[in-house]
Amino acid sequence: MVSAAEAPSVPAALPWCSVARLRTRAAFGFALLFASAAANAATEDIGERLAACAACHGKLGEGVHGAEYVPHLAGKPAGYLLEQLRHFRDGSRVNAQMTWLVRFMDDAYMEEIAAFYAAQPPRTRAADTGAADLTDAMRTTAERLVTHGDPERNVPACTACHGTALTGLEPGVPALVGLPAEYLIAQLGNWRNGIRHATAPDCMGEIARSLAPEDIRAVSEWLSQQSHPDGERPAPAGTLVPPRACGTLPHAEVAP
Amino acid sequence: MSRRIGFFLLALLPLLLAALAVGGVLFLRQGGFAPYRIPPGAAHPVAATADVLARGEYVAELGNCVSCHTTRGGVPFTGGLAFKTDYGTIFSTNLTPDPQTGLGGWSVEEFRHTMRNGVSRNGVLYPVFPYAHFAQVDDADLDALFAWLQHLPPSVRAATPNRLEFPASWRPALIGWRMLHYRPAPALAASAAGESPQRQRGRYLVDGLGHCAMCHGTRGSMGAALAQGDLAGGRIPGLGWYAPPLDATQLQRYSAAELADYLRSGTSVHGSVYGPMAEVVYGSLRHLDADDALAMASYLKSVPAHAAAPAPSLALGASSSGVSGADVYREHCADCHGREGRGDGTAYPPLVDAVAVIAPDPANAVRMILYGGMAPTTAGNPRPHSMPPFVEQLDSAQIAAVANYIRATWGGRSSNLTAPDVDALHGIAVD
Repeated sequence: MVSAAEAPSVPAALPWCSVARLRTRAAFGFALLFASAAANAATEDIGERLAACAACHGKLGEGVHGAEYVPHLAGKPAGYLLEQLRHFRDGSRVNAQMTWLVRFMDDAYMEEIAAFYAAQPPRTRAADTGAADLTDAMRTTAERLVTHGDPERNVPACTACHGTALTGLEPGVPALVGLPAEYLIAQLGNWRNGIRHATAPDCMGEIARSLAPEDIRAVSEWLSQQSHPDGERPAPAGTLVPPRACGTLPHAEVAP
Repeated sequence: MSRRIGFFLLALLPLLLAALAVGGVLFLRQGGFAPYRIPPGAAHPVAATADVLARGEYVAELGNCVSCHTTRGGVPFTGGLAFKTDYGTIFSTNLTPDPQTGLGGWSVEEFRHTMRNGVSRNGVLYPVFPYAHFAQVDDADLDALFAWLQHLPPSVRAATPNRLEFPASWRPALIGWRMLHYRPAPALAASAAGESPQRQRGRYLVDGLGHCAMCHGTRGSMGAALAQGDLAGGRIPGLGWYAPPLDATQLQRYSAAELADYLRSGTSVHGSVYGPMAEVVYGSLRHLDADDALAMASYLKSVPAHAAAPAPSLALGASSSGVSGADVYREHCADCHGREGRGDGTAYPPLVDAVAVIAPDPANAVRMILYGGMAPTTAGNPRPHSMPPFVEQLDSAQIAAVANYIRATWGGRSSNLTAPDVDALHGIAVD
């Protein structure tokens, strides 16, 4: 919206056209008003159109109690959600039910759906799938990997990209809190086994392949127990610069 | 001794001659030698004005080439999609103009011949390729299609070897199949005397380019369509979905204009497309222009009614589960589809007289309840509504009960699905 409003700028050094300029501005503002009203009307009923999504992800993407393999969607960055929808469509993420529902969907509708769930209050309290099976040794491993990574294996800290609060980073890094352990294990396992792919360079694929299965279990169980009050948003874009190249997101890695 | 053998052979001679005669007649009826004579000659440039290319693209859309010749996430038209048949798996081929792995070395004459006869330089093609339908496509459309395909970016992708059992794995065996099951269709113009141009166009699109009978035709033994253009409906081989008959009776609830709009938009007040038909709308029918959509709809509504198909056999002997379908319906379905099954506009389809409800085959109803669905995005329906999956919420006995309730109440079907029937329909095949 902001960039659109700035677009029809008229050279200020031409005083004789200031009236025309004002008119243009007024007309443009009016058009914007209508456009946003129409957009609101269009998005208002999106929730009822997505009954299929609500069945597993909750009405507003807040998740469904006790679902072990289904992530919440609410408040995740729109860019991340859009990429997942596209990947289910093109097969780089594998879930038959998801592909079944999105395979004949164009980008425009995917963008609207992603924006809808991204705008919901983030679900950031711990997953409600029961107490984690977390030993002291696992906790030590997890906390080390989450906050420091493992430079020897070229594994960055989770917090380096997903934020110190692990609530994600706009526009494309999702929160790691509020997710069930089984879901996290399945995702890292799928990356490790070449079943899940993200846009290249697929940093998470590289990281998952560098981790041992017991590291994945420890980190996943630990993450599933982290909890913030609901509503913690992903860190705004640019507030931290991830060290690794991931898809098309900004990063600090120097091109070789 | 030798006299006895000679006598024996003499006695067999009439039998041998009879077998030869029958074989000869069958061979002639599948087209004689003509289909196996591939026009010789190397590739040569084809006329490709902007108009021709635009027409070729439209022909490709109406023929839905992309859906079969593209894998999920793959480069369009490079083939590789698997087709599971009773005899093994067949893979589609590369249509881009790569000289080694695609159609780059083909002449337009060879392309026409292959489209119409199902025989190419690679041998006799398997009948998953709808050449019997494409035989009805005229030269101008085939030439435009070829010109457009030859203007795609060439992409290297060698054909995946088919995985078939013997004798299906041996291409010459297909000549035997053709002798039994393939009869070249009469040319369209010859059978169209006295027909209005609109009906002729509709039939051309339905029976020719659109190859609707590949799913909506009733299959006989060995994958044979019973008759060309037969739209009597049935379970689609390999897909596990039921395609309804297409005729005046089945389509009675649609006006021609409504049906035309349904084909292009994928939705209507009588319901939205789902299952394999969603793919057809997304890959093909949403591109129809208004006149062609109306021509198809009018033609389909003019097809004489087919005899009612018998219901398929279900698991026997299982007793009623004691689950009340009416209770399940009230709790999980009535909010959207209404207490009386009348639905609400295009958002919530009516169940009264819906295909899945009145069909002899309960597969569609069960699959929709299990895995839900979302209509394809189209210009006429850019933000589709969706049906939730119930596979995580309802067990097989509940799904059987509610499907029986719906089909009995609004479809007039004395439905006796059981939990094992529902179990047998589990599983999503997305590719």
